[in-house]
Amino acid sequence: MNEQALITDAQNGSLDAFNTLVLHYQDSVFNTALRILGDDDLAADATQDAFISAFKSITTFRGGSFKAWLMRTVTNACYDELRRQKRRPTTPLEPDTDDGEEMDSPRWLADPNMTPDQKAEADEVEHAIQHCLDNLPLEFKTVVVMADIQGMDYIEVATSIRVPLGTIKSRLARARLRLRECLQSFEELLPASYRLEEGMNVS
Amino acid sequence: MNQRDLELLSSYLDGQLSPSDSARLENRLKTDVQLASVLNDLRATRILLRKLPARRAPRNFTLTRKMVGQNPPLPRAYPFFRLASALATLLFVFSFGLNSVSRLTAPVFGMGGGGGDASQQSTELFAAEEAPAATEAPATEAPAEPPAAMAPAPTMTASVEDALRAAETPTLKAADVGNAAGQSELQKQTPAQLVPFTWQVVLGVVAVLSALLMLLMRGIAISRWR
Repeated sequence: MNEQALITDAQNGSLDAFNTLVLHYQDSVFNTALRILGDDDLAADATQDAFISAFKSITTFRGGSFKAWLMRTVTNACYDELRRQKRRPTTPLEPDTDDGEEMDSPRWLADPNMTPDQKAEADEVEHAIQHCLDNLPLEFKTVVVMADIQGMDYIEVATSIRVPLGTIKSRLARARLRLRECLQSFEELLPASYRLEEGMNVS
Repeated sequence: MNQRDLELLSSYLDGQLSPSDSARLENRLKTDVQLASVLNDLRATRILLRKLPARRAPRNFTLTRKMVGQNPPLPRAYPFFRLASALATLLFVFSFGLNSVSRLTAPVFGMGGGGGDASQQSTELFAAEEAPAATEAPATEAPAEPPAAMAPAPTMTASVEDALRAAETPTLKAADVGNAAGQSELQKQTPAQLVPFTWQVVLGVVAVLSALLMLLMRGIAISRWR
């Protein structure tokens, strides 16, 4: 995929070129929205809004990391969604268990190709991490999602959320520490392969 | 653990420290157990976060032209036909309005002129009120009329009004005839349609044809666009 050519075509109004970019980045964008919002439906809405907004403002893209530019669009869409949620709080619809109680973890959304053990393991980890992410302040959560979950470097994160590099370093360090403290309370629930290792040697 | 050390450890994990800063930190880590413990905690958290399975997008988020409000490129002649259709429709409606107004004013002429008709002698009071207004318009046309030697029409209103009318427009009396011949003459004088019927037809045809051509152009443009 020649990303630059597709971006140029999209800037000239080609929706087909832009849709090729959408297909390439939609998983990353959706995952970012999902980790920030913590809800599949809201994340899907924010992802769609982000791509629409990105197409409408693609002429403002002046080069650099397109992924970082897209991430800025999706974080803005997430902030809008969170503001909407604050104004109109809703009750999420979750499936009931056999006992008639709501499921705590989104087990019903898991990949059907996984074995039951893998599924249970993945559910526990995902649930624990999402719970801890949800308890982070929004600005910390955004940084940790981009850096540690999306694997973006500091400069890309700084470009995405338009804050100085020093602020990114500070927020990321504090977010990691808070997550560590939160995840320690889930230690016993986590399967052995996911347990936080202690006493590792400094490389 | 102060904030500065925490940032150093976090940046060290991401390989964001300069070689000299890294070397200094590594020396400290060899002797500072607490610092090493925090580093391990941060590293474990980072590993856990990076192991988080990436979800696949639940559907494709590709955009449609409708979503982004894109319209098909229309031919250059399209705005011309749009303007023509709008103008023709406007004039068409206006011509009807104009003709309707002229028709509405026509009965006033008739009443005023036909004041001598016996059947109208017993008409309502409003007819009598309108009569003076009607006296003026026919009066301008009256000179063109053959000065028929007709008896002054018996008026349907008070004698005062008759007197006034007689004083103002002596020629009116010639027009205010009571017989059928006089009345038919007056009916011929009622104003014709201001906009001829032919013009109305032309305007209607132009409006409809332009609209049809616009639809056709739009349809072709959309089918080509898709």
